[in-house]
Amino acid sequence: MDIVGKRRIFLGISAILVALSIVVLFAPGLRLGIDFVAGTSITYEFTDADPGTAEVRAALIEAGQDTVVVQNLGGGEYFVRTNELGEGDKERLDDALEQLTGAPPITLDLTTVGRSVADDTVQNAITAVVVASIFVMLYIMYAFRAVPNSFRYAVAAVVALLHDVLIALGVFVVLGVAINAEVNAIFIVGILTVIGYSVNDTIVVFDRIRENVTLAPGRPFRSTVNLSINETIVRSLATSITTMIVILAMLLFGGASLRDFLLVLLTGVAVGTYSSIFIAAQILVAWESGELSRFMPRRPRRATAESA
Amino acid sequence: MSRQFRGLIFISVLVALSAAILFIPRLDIGGFARGNEDSVFGLSLGLDLQGGTHLVYRVETEDGEPPTAEDMEGVRRIIESRVNQFGVSEPTVQLLGTPPDRILVQMPGLRGASITAMFSGNTVSQDGFEQFFVEELGREDAAVTQDVRENQLVLIAQLDSLEPPDLDENGNVVTPGDAERYRQAAKEHFPVTMGILFAPEPVEDPDATPTPEPDGTATPEPGPTATPDPEEPEPTATPEPETTVPSIEDVRQVFANIGRDEVEIEELDEGFYQVTLFNLEEAGFDEEGNPIPSEVDRIREGLEEVGDLAGLEPFGRIVQWTPGGGVEEAKALIGSTAQLEFRERVCAPVSPPSPDVEWPPDGLTQDQWAAERCNNPEYYTEQATDIDPDNLEDAFASVNESGQPIVTIVFDNEGADAFFRVTDRISRTGDLLAIYLDGQELVAPRVDPDIGGIAGGRAIISGQDFTPERARTISIQLRSGSLPVSLELLQERSVDALLGETSLRRSLVAGGVGLALLLLFVVSYYKVPGVVAATSLIVYTLMLLAVFKLIPVTLTLAGAAAVILSLGLAVDANILIAERTKEELRSGRGLLAAINHGFSRAWPSIRDGNISTIIVAFVLFWFGDRFGTSIMQGFALTLVVGVLLSMFTAFFVSRVLLRLVAASPIGRRSGLFVPVEDVAAPESAVGSQA
Repeated sequence: MDIVGKRRIFLGISAILVALSIVVLFAPGLRLGIDFVAGTSITYEFTDADPGTAEVRAALIEAGQDTVVVQNLGGGEYFVRTNELGEGDKERLDDALEQLTGAPPITLDLTTVGRSVADDTVQNAITAVVVASIFVMLYIMYAFRAVPNSFRYAVAAVVALLHDVLIALGVFVVLGVAINAEVNAIFIVGILTVIGYSVNDTIVVFDRIRENVTLAPGRPFRSTVNLSINETIVRSLATSITTMIVILAMLLFGGASLRDFLLVLLTGVAVGTYSSIFIAAQILVAWESGELSRFMPRRPRRATAESA
Repeated sequence: MSRQFRGLIFISVLVALSAAILFIPRLDIGGFARGNEDSVFGLSLGLDLQGGTHLVYRVETEDGEPPTAEDMEGVRRIIESRVNQFGVSEPTVQLLGTPPDRILVQMPGLRGASITAMFSGNTVSQDGFEQFFVEELGREDAAVTQDVRENQLVLIAQLDSLEPPDLDENGNVVTPGDAERYRQAAKEHFPVTMGILFAPEPVEDPDATPTPEPDGTATPEPGPTATPDPEEPEPTATPEPETTVPSIEDVRQVFANIGRDEVEIEELDEGFYQVTLFNLEEAGFDEEGNPIPSEVDRIREGLEEVGDLAGLEPFGRIVQWTPGGGVEEAKALIGSTAQLEFRERVCAPVSPPSPDVEWPPDGLTQDQWAAERCNNPEYYTEQATDIDPDNLEDAFASVNESGQPIVTIVFDNEGADAFFRVTDRISRTGDLLAIYLDGQELVAPRVDPDIGGIAGGRAIISGQDFTPERARTISIQLRSGSLPVSLELLQERSVDALLGETSLRRSLVAGGVGLALLLLFVVSYYKVPGVVAATSLIVYTLMLLAVFKLIPVTLTLAGAAAVILSLGLAVDANILIAERTKEELRSGRGLLAAINHGFSRAWPSIRDGNISTIIVAFVLFWFGDRFGTSIMQGFALTLVVGVLLSMFTAFFVSRVLLRLVAASPIGRRSGLFVPVEDVAAPESAVGSQA
């Protein structure tokens, strides 16, 4: 399989996906949960009768929560998001809901996040991703010090990593619109898991390149990369299939509380496998052949690269 | 070969050990205690898997300066002592941030409401109490924990909710709430056993005994009693005085007189009876508002009439039954600023207050009295002083000239005046200055009468039982008690126990199904190396859980996610090795050589990949506590443990097993070592393009 030769197609697809992700991140943007915007979220369960979303919302607005978000989770369970509740507010909500069905609803889960914590969350999350990327880059530079231009490997791995994170975020914007998926603290855990997975996957491919470069230094770099990709592609697919099997099992049999998180992981694993084969290694080739020195590679240049 | 077998034995020992660790719910080896009876494999579960409450507070000083490490430590101690009152199984209070400025309080199992109960004589066990709620009251949501405070067993039943009593406009109870109904039920359910002991009385005139002889058959045998003390000759000349104690019938009559016709009485020894009662009545008021003495008092009165009552001990009486508000109450208590109080303790007098009073009271000896008069709340009284805790400027621990630990306290000018007046007074009376934090006694020193009032606002507290740790604790508590910090609730998370249970069950099922599918895939695709990989993954899972229990790592949903990721990495390592081995086989090597090369050539990529993952985990752990939640750190810790263990299983367990299999008859059929789907040789693919 000549994957390296088709690198422009893959790089192009990725560029479009990343661009689209960035666009949707600005509008409509992620649906931020209370970890980011402060407030209280409650999961209520009605055991006797199911009042319906509209009724629940009306009752809560009546109780003074005019910006309430109500989501029916099925089985008489409702996810409710309000402003940060003060003293006595929770009782008022409980009372209002009790009047709907005559029986007090059960509070399954209640989370309150104060304004000052929420304000820092986005910044902390970005800082964590940046710091993790820098350390990973430094390690790759060290681990690949034996091959020429080890710096390129580090940059390519991190570009692939950011590519994965951005696309996972983009997919999550879509999920937010489609199934009201909300970004919460565990979502950040999901993103960092994606980073870990993405880097791991990229390194397996790079490791093979490192080995093949050392074994046959005279071989053209693009052939070496293509050979390495072909040698590792079965393993990459096998690993991502097994990991996805576990994630899918958790999605199907696990509770609703982890659903959003598992969707991030699923996206991340799929994109991470794709990027390690079709992006990270291709960046190395593009860099080697000087294509990256130009912002937009022109046709004549490509022709020479192709014939080489 | 023997090397492989040694490896196999080592693996077997590890598996057996891990299994033992997991299947014995509670381990306790020489003080190293792990696990608990109630959870799966005795693993410690996070709030999201067992229910409970998680609170994060920011500590703010009044002057806006960031709190110092010592401030934080003081606040942590105060909160810890407050949280311990709630009777949840393993509460944690932990400082967050570098430098710390926030406090995380976790109370697993804390629910909407609770009932705290104490039975005199500790007659009711934790299990018995829980059974009472579940079986007698039908409260299947009840979970009972226990705590021991000063030899008294405190039982705390956690419940989802308690119906409050219905009150009319005047605040009178129309219908009692759950707590009261349950108390009545407990009185009916748990018996009170009274130990009744009579002192033998000399028989003066058999006809004058107030007790009627029952049929003359059950005459109590006069036992070998009351030999005169040789050093104190009896004033009366009567040789061998006859003694008597009230008979079982006398006792029965006493109970009949107060309306207890059928009571279970057992004679344990001469003059020593045991009576079992249900529904003991407490003191109260009749309809006209006249006090009715409690049933115990009426029984005591009756018993005193028939004989010389030496002891009456009711065991199993409900001495405390307090409904609690659960989460809301916990928030209110934790968030309140610590209250430091200086009180003047007026001890009971050494000599009798009036000549005709028996002194010391209650039959205490002089020595006992000396110890009790200032320490037993039954005897001393306390009054407020005008020492304002806000005037306490500092408190620190040090040692005096002779090396004894002491606590120095420093008041400002205003406080110094008040302190002088109080110490001057109590130095003359011999009373104590009792210092309380949140209503609990911290220390109660007396003032040396030779010194008198302490002027200047500086004082030293010393004590024979002071250890350096205790002095330090007292000083920290004194300081933080007067510290003008306030706590702002930043984050709250309460998970219903039932939801936690559901999440746990579903996660276990999901994990089990996922693992089974994964093993199926690996075995069907990679054949023999797949079976080896699957075996080593099972070993991995067992060891991972065992390590979690030993460290211990608290399992949360986020932790479960980390387990998935590390499982993925563990599979990846095995797949890499299997792929490499396959390539080596194809290039014409013998099976054993191919396996050896497969491992050594897979190692660099596994190493680098896993180290990168560990780097990400470290960054996550480092940043984790900035998010006001502990899930990140839990995830990171779980991930690091998982990754390290996955490298071990891949490179030790898999290798030993694969070599053993290769050396066995299976090893002769190398086709079993090549995957099902044989992709075209990559070399030729590249070659065709070049």
